[in-house]
Amino acid sequence: MANTLTVDAPARRPRRSFGELLSSDLRALPIVIGLVALGIFFASQSDVFLTSRNLSNLLVQSTVVGIMALGLMFVLLVKEIDLSIAAINGITSVLMAKFIVEFGFSPLIAVPAAILFGAAIGSCSARWVTFVGVPSFVVTLGLGLALNGLQLILLPPTARYGLQQTGIERIALTNISGVWAWLSLLVGIVVYAGLVLSDVARRKRAGLQSPVIQSVVLPIAAAAVFGSVVVAILAAHQGIPLVVLIFAMLLGVGGYTLNSTQFGLYLYAVGNNEEAARRAGIKVARIKMAAFAIAGGVAALAGVIAASRTLGVGVFSGGGVGGGTLLLESIAAAVIGGVSLFGGRGSIHAALLGALVIGTVSNGLNLLGVENEVRLIVTGLLLVLAVSIDKLIERATGHQSF
Amino acid sequence: MTALAAERPLSAHNGTTPLVSLRNIQKHFGSLHALRGASVEVYPGEIVALVGDNGAGKSTLVKVMAGVHAADSGEYLFEGKPVQVRKPTDATALGIQTVYQDLSLCSNLDAVQNLFLGRERTGSWWSGGRIRRAECEVRARELLTRMRLGNLSLTRPVGAMSGGQRQNIAIARSILETPKVVILDEPTAALSHSAAEGVSSLIRTLADQGLGVVIVSHDIHHFVVNATDRIEVMRLGTNVASFKSKDVTGEQVVNAMVGGNEGVNLAG
Repeated sequence: MANTLTVDAPARRPRRSFGELLSSDLRALPIVIGLVALGIFFASQSDVFLTSRNLSNLLVQSTVVGIMALGLMFVLLVKEIDLSIAAINGITSVLMAKFIVEFGFSPLIAVPAAILFGAAIGSCSARWVTFVGVPSFVVTLGLGLALNGLQLILLPPTARYGLQQTGIERIALTNISGVWAWLSLLVGIVVYAGLVLSDVARRKRAGLQSPVIQSVVLPIAAAAVFGSVVVAILAAHQGIPLVVLIFAMLLGVGGYTLNSTQFGLYLYAVGNNEEAARRAGIKVARIKMAAFAIAGGVAALAGVIAASRTLGVGVFSGGGVGGGTLLLESIAAAVIGGVSLFGGRGSIHAALLGALVIGTVSNGLNLLGVENEVRLIVTGLLLVLAVSIDKLIERATGHQSF
Repeated sequence: MTALAAERPLSAHNGTTPLVSLRNIQKHFGSLHALRGASVEVYPGEIVALVGDNGAGKSTLVKVMAGVHAADSGEYLFEGKPVQVRKPTDATALGIQTVYQDLSLCSNLDAVQNLFLGRERTGSWWSGGRIRRAECEVRARELLTRMRLGNLSLTRPVGAMSGGQRQNIAIARSILETPKVVILDEPTAALSHSAAEGVSSLIRTLADQGLGVVIVSHDIHHFVVNATDRIEVMRLGTNVASFKSKDVTGEQVVNAMVGGNEGVNLAG
């Protein structure tokens, strides 16, 4: 027992075993290794894979699923699920297109309205879940189907709204190139470094030591190197696609929210032990509502991006009826990235890594000229494999991951 | 036998006022008469054990004290003054904290996050509610050192800790706001013998600092007779015996619990 020993407060952390690290700080390691392995495999099979043009493409292709997974993560963290995100993606983008094409609204109004509408739909399903007590699986499954029907009703007889020349198409076509690309990277690094340094300064003021190399130099250097490599690749083609920058900013804001804010902490607390959270005075229903609203709003934003890339909306928007592969790949991306369906577990990089794995498989197999059927099989197997590896590590090291 | 609490000899406490005193508490749940004039009191620096068979009413009685249930009738005195305690926040406002049997910890959060859950200090609004982690960490370290738990890891998820460590963190969480009374529901139920000893020495440390402690426990032979000062035995919703822990054996307590020694009152 600990309690009769010691009084001095050592700020040094005890050295942790590799197994313990794998289940905490290095939890993403297997998935990163998997991603690199996929990259090496496709690079060896296709000369085109590693070109900056293709890698840039791959990133752009991954953004919609990545953004959807990022939003879904908030709901998964509180131990709920939202099966209506693809339908929200579809109906909000169709509504946006209707307002722009039929009623002549400016995209500057229609896009924020679409996002707010998505958030409103999400918060309504959360209310239904928390007040009526119906499981979120059922509520959002039903809601998703209903929204699919509504989407079909809202479409014109041609079943499609074209969005050429409306301004929406510019979202997907804009690239931040040359010096501006590097400048946006610099801004990102400065903001990140500012957060890291203010943390260290606070710890110092409070009389806590923190290892300079480990907690300051290493994270900032890693971020700078990683960012530079990505920007260099993208700049060699056309610059940073705006949609990739949007995804990156969402990752940054999401990561900050989850790691540093009270709301982020409450998401993890509610997902792990709802009763304890309630006893601690956390307004559980409100936290869940916020999580669903974020998922809905972010899904709507992904819908806008998808509409911009396809230059229009139609039956296919939101993955088609039932959500199709868009819904399944969004859930798969979050889970492959390490988000638990049982709540309280998962970091922001899950959305990025999961989406990149799915995007890489689809892009690489496409280059090899393999049919769509194979892509689905491989993605499905990878999903099961990723979660299995996680379980095996847990069992082998005896450390439950959090 | 029931309404004797007020007249019970209090020589051990030499006229000091009890921190909390519940007298002649009645409580019904529908047709179930759960408490039939039950009483309990706790003095500063004292560890009181509430024991009894399942259904004896000990849990209901501490829940009345904690404000989880409101009593149908009876007196609730805090530091000698009558008070209204009808919900948990009433009790916490008075300085009565409860550690539930399930500990109410989040296994995916670390010790600091659990200690401060719901009471985080945050930065200004434009930071989006950024938690002042360093401040919390310093306060957590101070608190744990005062509790002689200085070498507990602050950064590991509590799910990776032992049952005894988790129990200690739950107790630490309950005294974060410097309460006057702490209620512990089955603090040793899931612990190994050595971990239970660690917890009981922690509880003694707290009592020595002037805290009143109320414990509900089934662990009569090891924990209750060795780690507490006074034992209140309940049966069928009322007090049937009161012992000084150092004067009794586990068998005597168990006898009183099951009815072998009806009406015996050895206190004082």
